[in-house]
Amino acid sequence: MNNDTTTGEYMLLFRGPHWDKGLSPEDLQAAMDKVMAWFEELNERGKIKASQPLGAQGRIISGTNGRLVVDGPFAESKEAVGGYLVLLADDLNEAVEIARSMPTLKYGITVEVRPILAECPIFQRHPDLVQRAKERAVQADQLWAAVAA
Amino acid sequence: MKSDYLLLFRGNVWDRGLSPAQLQKVVSDWMAWFERLKDEGKCLGGHPLEDAGKVISGKQGRTIADGPFAESKEAIGGYFYLQVADEKEAIEIAKQCPGLEYGSVVEVRPVAEICSVKQRAEEYSQLAGATA
Repeated sequence: MNNDTTTGEYMLLFRGPHWDKGLSPEDLQAAMDKVMAWFEELNERGKIKASQPLGAQGRIISGTNGRLVVDGPFAESKEAVGGYLVLLADDLNEAVEIARSMPTLKYGITVEVRPILAECPIFQRHPDLVQRAKERAVQADQLWAAVAA
Repeated sequence: MKSDYLLLFRGNVWDRGLSPAQLQKVVSDWMAWFERLKDEGKCLGGHPLEDAGKVISGKQGRTIADGPFAESKEAIGGYFYLQVADEKEAIEIAKQCPGLEYGSVVEVRPVAEICSVKQRAEEYSQLAGATA
């Protein structure tokens, strides 16, 4: 039963991609083995819809028409998102329990668990505007169809 | 050869203080932008994230905090998954985000083939193999 999401999917954001700093090669290998086993086990249970690491390089775009483009300082930040996992879970509690079993938490990463929504909360706050936008899109399609015909 | 990028939309209260007309435009523009990118095959999917959520840290995940997502300019409010020619094209698409002029921020990140930590672990073990 889903009470807190309309999709049954949860986004796990893994923050702090430099948790391996200071680990000995043996400890790092052991940690990686545990991480791989963790992913394998979740995958076999059919809990993973998608999961990928993100490259440390990247850009941050802001300002009207995206006039500001800066290199992201991702490499050394504990806040930086190093990867993500789209988890299939019954509810937020199950998603949190799975997140808590992530083996690299003991090395200082944090996991952010967020319900994935079917519709944007900003749009939800203004349902009348969304409805009007959809109507306009339909009208535009009809206009194009009429022009094409 | 196509490359995958994740667009992370940061800031989830940028609609505050907009006039109904501005809101109407940004909502229409955003929906049209998403639909166009999907039609062009450049956006494989995207979803908003709920303001509610948890942040887990510490050994065995002993610390569970409610995420202070609602009021933050840094908070990730949603994402697009892009498949495009290169980083330049991903940035060009990010610059078209209709929320930018109201303070939304877009983070563009390449999806990696292999986790950077795993790569470092493998380099270690190769080094160990070479010196053994």
